[in-house]
Amino acid sequence: MIQQRVPSSPSGGTPVGRVVATELKPATPHQFHFWTANETSIGIGAIVRVEEDGRETGDGGRVVYGVVTDAMAYSDLATPLHDVVGAEGDPARAAESPTVRQEIRLWTAAVLRQEPEEPLQPVPLGRVCVADDADVVQALRMDAYLTGATPSGIPVGLYTSGGLEAPVYLDADFLLGPEAAHLNISGVSGLATKTSAVEFLLSSIFQHFPAHKGRVAAVCFNVKGPDLCFLDQPGPLDDADRRRYERLGVTPQPFARVRYYAPFKADGVNLNTLRTHPDLAGNVEPLVWGLEEVLDFAEVLLNRDDIDAKADAFIDFLSDRVVRREFDDGFGGTHRVQTFADLDRLFRAIFDGLESAGRSDMWRTHHVATIRKVRNRLSNISTRCKGLVTDDGPSSDLPWGRFDAQTVYVVDIANVDPLGQDLVFARIVSQLRERLERRDLGVDAVVVFVDELNKYAPADGPDTYVKKMLLDISERGRYLGLVLFGAEQFRTQVHRRVVGNAATIVYGRMDFDELATPGYQVLTPATKIKLATLPVGELMVRHPHFTQPVFVRFPRPAVLRGRDGVGRFPPAADLPFEDAVVRQLVRMDRRIRPNEAKDLIADRTPDDVRRALAATRRARPEDPLAFFRRALGRAVPAPAAERPREVVQPLNPIADEPY
Amino acid sequence: MSGERRLRDALVAAGAVPASHVPEESTGRGDLLEVAGAELVEDATVTAHPVAPIAGPPAVAFLDGIERWLVTFYDGVVPIVRAYVAGAVRRRDGSRRLSTALAATREFHVAPLAALRPGVRAALEASEIELVDVAADAQQATQPGRALEAARRVVENARVALEKALGERHAAALGPDEWLVVDGVLSESAALSRHPRALGVIKSHAAQYFEGEALTRALTIPDHHRSSVFQPRGRARHEVYSWYLRLWPWEGNDLLFGLVRVEARAHADTVATASRIAGWLVRERAPVATPDRRWDRLLYPMHDVETYLRARAPRELVPRAASRLPRRAS
Repeated sequence: MIQQRVPSSPSGGTPVGRVVATELKPATPHQFHFWTANETSIGIGAIVRVEEDGRETGDGGRVVYGVVTDAMAYSDLATPLHDVVGAEGDPARAAESPTVRQEIRLWTAAVLRQEPEEPLQPVPLGRVCVADDADVVQALRMDAYLTGATPSGIPVGLYTSGGLEAPVYLDADFLLGPEAAHLNISGVSGLATKTSAVEFLLSSIFQHFPAHKGRVAAVCFNVKGPDLCFLDQPGPLDDADRRRYERLGVTPQPFARVRYYAPFKADGVNLNTLRTHPDLAGNVEPLVWGLEEVLDFAEVLLNRDDIDAKADAFIDFLSDRVVRREFDDGFGGTHRVQTFADLDRLFRAIFDGLESAGRSDMWRTHHVATIRKVRNRLSNISTRCKGLVTDDGPSSDLPWGRFDAQTVYVVDIANVDPLGQDLVFARIVSQLRERLERRDLGVDAVVVFVDELNKYAPADGPDTYVKKMLLDISERGRYLGLVLFGAEQFRTQVHRRVVGNAATIVYGRMDFDELATPGYQVLTPATKIKLATLPVGELMVRHPHFTQPVFVRFPRPAVLRGRDGVGRFPPAADLPFEDAVVRQLVRMDRRIRPNEAKDLIADRTPDDVRRALAATRRARPEDPLAFFRRALGRAVPAPAAERPREVVQPLNPIADEPY
Repeated sequence: MSGERRLRDALVAAGAVPASHVPEESTGRGDLLEVAGAELVEDATVTAHPVAPIAGPPAVAFLDGIERWLVTFYDGVVPIVRAYVAGAVRRRDGSRRLSTALAATREFHVAPLAALRPGVRAALEASEIELVDVAADAQQATQPGRALEAARRVVENARVALEKALGERHAAALGPDEWLVVDGVLSESAALSRHPRALGVIKSHAAQYFEGEALTRALTIPDHHRSSVFQPRGRARHEVYSWYLRLWPWEGNDLLFGLVRVEARAHADTVATASRIAGWLVRERAPVATPDRRWDRLLYPMHDVETYLRARAPRELVPRAASRLPRRAS
């Protein structure tokens, strides 16, 4: 446990500097200046402790903690011309002068904390010491949540300075709710280590999530290559990493429970992911949705021009009155619509009925042109999202209601077209939100990691469904335990309410053009330079308890990086249809002989085979081959609904006009 | 062509050197006031020797001192002076940085005690601060200006004594390859004036040692030249050898611009090594000792010692920058 410093006790430590104040550079309650020797461990971001004179003898006095935000060096040279004169115009001779000019290292620090806190006064002109572990705890006000009956610290990294490595903790109540929530990380691609930082932090959360806060899981959207495809595989660590893990109290191990979900490719049998190596493919589940799953999110797939108020009303009609119900089309036909194929049969029945009856062009108050338009757009969905959306097969989805604690659910949509990505993202996050609201997800809090926020919640551009949903999470998620970990290259290009609601802001190496934007004007030029040159593995963190940003270093995540994973576990080549079906059956039951399975599907249409395979996968029978044979032998029945659809409060409705 | 221009051209053509110098005698600078005399120990006449800059010894110590004084009270018209003198030796080694090797300070009151009223004198004597008497006659004591001049001399003597003590103490402990450079004359100290690796560098030229043509040659030596070595006469308490050295070109400035006088022990080796020592001192002109106004003659390490001492001087003895408005409304 971290030792808390008694405020009135005399402190040790050799001073490394002294506070100075002049009329032009005064010490204020929020900022002070101090000098050090030329050779010093102090640097931008260093945390220091200022002790008023007399404190070292135990006579009381104020203690101020500050973080270095700027630095200056200058000599007693009155004008550059004098240096030229002294060197006789030859720069080489300037270095030969027998005496080095007096120079100063003058540092500017922002106040992190004062003891006592009241009355708030200017920083005393006292001695400056390098902060130790206990000082870092005090300076960052971590004592408020590291001690007490229900500590809630989540290690985020090590504050490092001059050989000191002090753990820095985030407050779970402010990272994962309910006081505040959400984390936003930004930085340039490849150098900011955004994904690695999130992987480490998730590991830290899983190991340090306070028991009194319940169970936590994570849903990660893999939107780039193999980034998150190997979270369950150990990655290489060096001694420095292991030392940092030990210092942070985090066990360096890959995630023990990871579930992967990926849509199929267009062939409907090969998974659309880079995690297809035979050794790893066992825990990759297909992500396949049917009409029921998609219809509520038709707005994601259909643009504003497609969906006017009339079409919107008709879609709602289908959703509320038709799907999963016995429905009379008014022409003598009864339909039970559960798939896109069923829906298309209904449409055909309506058009045929209208035509044969010679009736008007209205059906149930909906104009036939509207019906044709909706039919056209909805029918097109399964084409545009082939592999993800099935026309008539059963769906395969995340285990809603059965989420496990300390489990990462990776949804690999890296190779899915942008429309499909939007659909996956919208539906999964909506489901999380609804189930957390109903408290039937299986866990009490879920971290949703979304990379490329620049794309999903841009600062400008149209108000898409996804953007509205991200705004909703950002603004209300903390009450539900739905926590957004967002990442992007350019923070200023993300919707300001999405980033503004993130209580914890993390910066990796930043692009200098980005730093030049007004959003960063609160940072000093020195801090900006440091941000623009941050080494890999170092971050700047802002957190509600920290009155100033603090730089931390985190160890490499103990998981296999995507690039390395692809090298070690090369993706399997796409198989021909028959072989892919056989492989899936064999994966369910290794006793199945490939030839026997091939014989079964030899004369069947691919659609029949896909339906039978999906049914088998869904049922998970003890004898998969027998089940598959039966499924092929007859029409594959549509799965019964688990329970009636529940009415869930809609997100901000897209259409302002009620139907 | 203007009249000024014609005059200038005529003077230059006749051998005069253009200059720009406002004499500062009125502010206390006492150059060129006294002729002391000298005996050449090198060359038959004063000769300018070219000097090539060379690297100095690996370790050199620099000694300088400061004085601060202020009238803090008047007893009637008798001024009571609060004085502070300090000196320091700052040593430079291979790092080319200066660090303090020795430092000493002295703080005291100066007043003509006999002229003070008993109560005032008793109060001064009871204070923890040393009290120094100015042995003044009755006329001095009743004339504030004279009393101040007497006090100034006391303070100056105290500084010189402090510097001398520091210099002798450090010289006694000098390493075999280490030199000591003193800001001012060596000849005040027997120990320093005999030391083989002690130098005095004198910036002010209140005393002159030549006349006529010799004076002209001595004071007009060009940049990077030294004069012949001579043995000063006059006020010198202990025998030393000396020579002039020009650090910066004086043409366009005043006659003494960049001119220092160097003192070393009175020994044949001094003559033999004068050019090498001068070459080393020429190297010391960089970095220039700005913003000090005497930078043309002030070696940077001496400037550094002064800066060090000034930084440590009591703030109450620094003249106030504020206006001298009445302290109390009438």
